[in-house]
Amino acid sequence: MEIYLPIAEISVNWAMILGVGAAVGFLSGMFGVGGGFLMTPILIFYGIPPGIAVATQASHITASSLSGALAHWRRDHVDTKMGWMLVGGGLVGAGLGVYAFAALREIGQIELVIAASYVIMLGSIGAMMLNESLNTLRSGAPGGRRKPGQHNWIHGLPLKMRFRRSKLYISVVPPLVLGVVGGLLAAVLGVGGAFVLVPAMIYLLRMPTNIVVGTSQFQILFVTAATTVLHALGNQSVDIILALLLILGGVVGVQFGVRAGARLRGEQIRLLLALLVLAVALRLLYGLIATPADLYSLVTGLP
Amino acid sequence: MRRAHAILALFGAAALALSPARAEDLVSVLSKDLIEIRSNFTGTDIVLFGAIESPDPFASAEGRDIVVAIRGPDAPATVRRKARIAGVWINRDSVTFDRLPGFYFVAATRPLGDIASPLILQRFELGLANLAARPLADTEDSAAAAEFLGAAIRQKREEGLYEETTSGIEFSSHSVFRARVPLPATVPPGSYTADVYLFRDGTVISAQSTPLYVDKSGMERRLYNLAHREPLFYGIGAVLMALLLGWMSSILFRQS
Repeated sequence: MEIYLPIAEISVNWAMILGVGAAVGFLSGMFGVGGGFLMTPILIFYGIPPGIAVATQASHITASSLSGALAHWRRDHVDTKMGWMLVGGGLVGAGLGVYAFAALREIGQIELVIAASYVIMLGSIGAMMLNESLNTLRSGAPGGRRKPGQHNWIHGLPLKMRFRRSKLYISVVPPLVLGVVGGLLAAVLGVGGAFVLVPAMIYLLRMPTNIVVGTSQFQILFVTAATTVLHALGNQSVDIILALLLILGGVVGVQFGVRAGARLRGEQIRLLLALLVLAVALRLLYGLIATPADLYSLVTGLP
Repeated sequence: MRRAHAILALFGAAALALSPARAEDLVSVLSKDLIEIRSNFTGTDIVLFGAIESPDPFASAEGRDIVVAIRGPDAPATVRRKARIAGVWINRDSVTFDRLPGFYFVAATRPLGDIASPLILQRFELGLANLAARPLADTEDSAAAAEFLGAAIRQKREEGLYEETTSGIEFSSHSVFRARVPLPATVPPGSYTADVYLFRDGTVISAQSTPLYVDKSGMERRLYNLAHREPLFYGIGAVLMALLLGWMSSILFRQS
């Protein structure tokens, strides 16, 4: 049952890794999320070095976002022009992220940055989702929709461009900046970043909801592929055997998750997802504030 | 290298100073000198066989000791210590040591302190307390450095990578012995040395050093080499594998 990971240089139980891939795939199929925010912490808890967990996770997300992006593409639910803007920003963000990752690892703070970022992002997003889904469940009606055509500060920015598919005429700066954020998240945290991209595209860019998910999948596909190559080039930290196990487990898990998710109502799914996100955030917060069993840590090689 | 020089110097001294009656010599051989890490590697044992050749077959075993030390690969190592800052545990202080073996196993017929003086043990780096790791920065205060080194050694012991034992050497006759060395699954790849020392009355009278290699082999080795020598190719390969699997799964599961 043991298999030696050539890059991580440790033996792992391959059935366990397949199972983790399937379980995370199940949850991501059920909730319609990427699952990177679950996978990266689980791999680190399991003992995979953070650098290898994050870099390998990028290739896993490439595999899982492909089928989603293809499905949305077939239904013409992708704004390609907006997608390329996001990808352009994403490549810059991924490059910066890979560089920042190596620098943080050198000074021994990468685990802290990963855990703290997760706690802040998942904590706030989980709290917002929990609040919204509880309100929806209580009032029995979907949450307040904003009117289309409503203007915000985004419309005051220069370098405007027309995005026909999104029926928008806005500055290219916000999509580029959003892309950079997505790239940074992929390269430093090993997540696709949809949980930031999708709300930002809806509430900041005011894109039509039906093309938001497809466009974000499009961005995630290209940016995580680039992140994989950049981590392989810069840190030699992509473990292809680990990736293979995670992807194989994941693709099967997703199918069962999608079927299970179809039986649940939208509000129930959002409530469960909010609780899951908060649970991960709390677990990571506990790891940051609880007194560690061993204050010392040993890293071979120069810092 | 320093140890090798010390051994050579001792050989010279021993040849000059010892009377023929006491010229005991040591031969040793390893059960394996290449450990191959394959995909199913979960650790292994190596056995070191040794014999003491003596012109006097009735030389007393009293006052005679064997020490077996396996170590490798030496590399710089950084030890960090967490401190609580604003309620959060953060890596704060760190000490980088010039060289620390990734694996270190020492077996002796008696506790090392009973076999030889601290000076001799230090010179040959025998025993966990005598690993000669020096902090790289000059400004480090030595008491703190010793504390960090102690923590590193403790962690390595917990991982099964460092061990100091008095039960590892078995004599099967008056002059033939063997030492079993357990290598855990996490044994780092690299070059090792297996050193055997024959002590008599607290001095080394014979020593032998044998190289030993731990290396990835088969597919593990090819993937590792590819990732380090052709990282662009490797990265693109990882992406293509991911795309292929993602695409295949979307075809496979669309039917059902």
